[in-house]
Amino acid sequence: MLLKGLALSLVSSMAWCVLFNVPVRTIFAGGIAGMVGYVVYSLLPLLNAEVLLSTFVSAAIVSLLSQVMSIFLRVPSTNFSVAGIIPLVPGSLAYKAMLAFVNNDYIGGITLATKTMMVAGAIASGLIFGISVVTIVKGARHAGKRAQ
Amino acid sequence: MSSDLVMDTCLLAGSIILKNGGETYRTEETMARIAQAAGMDDVNSSATPTSIILSFRCRGLDHTRMVRTPSRTTNLNKITLVNDVSRRFVGGSITLEQAYLTLCEIDQKKPLYPKWMQHIAAAIASGSFAMLAGGTWFDLLPSALAGLTVILSLEYLEQFVRMKFFTEFSAALLGGLFALLAVTIFPELHISIIIIGAMLPMFPGIAITNSLRDLMAGDLVAGVSRGVEAMLTAVSVAVATAIILWFTR
Repeated sequence: MLLKGLALSLVSSMAWCVLFNVPVRTIFAGGIAGMVGYVVYSLLPLLNAEVLLSTFVSAAIVSLLSQVMSIFLRVPSTNFSVAGIIPLVPGSLAYKAMLAFVNNDYIGGITLATKTMMVAGAIASGLIFGISVVTIVKGARHAGKRAQ
Repeated sequence: MSSDLVMDTCLLAGSIILKNGGETYRTEETMARIAQAAGMDDVNSSATPTSIILSFRCRGLDHTRMVRTPSRTTNLNKITLVNDVSRRFVGGSITLEQAYLTLCEIDQKKPLYPKWMQHIAAAIASGSFAMLAGGTWFDLLPSALAGLTVILSLEYLEQFVRMKFFTEFSAALLGGLFALLAVTIFPELHISIIIIGAMLPMFPGIAITNSLRDLMAGDLVAGVSRGVEAMLTAVSVAVATAIILWFTR
């Protein structure tokens, strides 16, 4: 079951890389970013984590990983992070929200739509978290050099 | 060093980055770095998702120019290449003329992967995302075909309808209709899974990521405008999905 998820997240992230014309040498790295994100996303609920927490943590890990890979492969980190967050997209939540609206269940629809927005926000803040950690490290190193 | 060549090089680099889906802070930074490395004083650059302004002072004379980028696509390869060129120029391993010629070459480059390969990639992405969302093996092929319908209609409708959001709406509608058709013919398929997979190629991933990075860099105008772009795309896809679901009631 987990093996199937691993293969599927790898394949779908790599396909997304092709869709965005990333350089050939970084396609596999982008797939790895997506796979790692999916692994974290599917393992955290086993530790009783909420869906928001697991989405946030996995988005942050994807973002950190893409920053690290961007330093090693010398390409902009967008190349990896765009594909990496694909397995976390709240597709089924958004679908359920639409279904509720169509069935005139407006209260349920708003609840689900809010939940979708919260998950999207968790992805966004996870990405921001990863970026800012790297920025802080860079800034600290810069300040250290200036102090010498 | 002639200031015209510096200006041309900077603006070309900036417009390639902006046209192909780069962040505005990257555009500004690249232009400012090239101009500074070329020995210009008082460099100021400003970019929004649709325009670039660059100004600098060269031997007591001020130079300012602005370019607009009306159409935007996504080609991260070109951004990587421009990044490389600017890094090499700032590092001093190539001259300004070489940098300009390389940038012209990059601008003329065709997408890295042919059209058919991108269409297949969209189909694969849709199919595997549908499986991740809890589909069975039988849902894989219909989702992939629905994703293919979406990407093909995005591509061909764009040439007739010049409005991006209406194109996305119609593509989502066509993809949903395909899902509806598939479920009507084979009732054992799950329409929810197929629709979730089919809408994936329209997910505004790059707009969201870039908007966040722009906001983080303090570029509030660019960040907000990209965020609104992403939201409009999401809303047009959502409305199309709701219309399709209304048929299934």
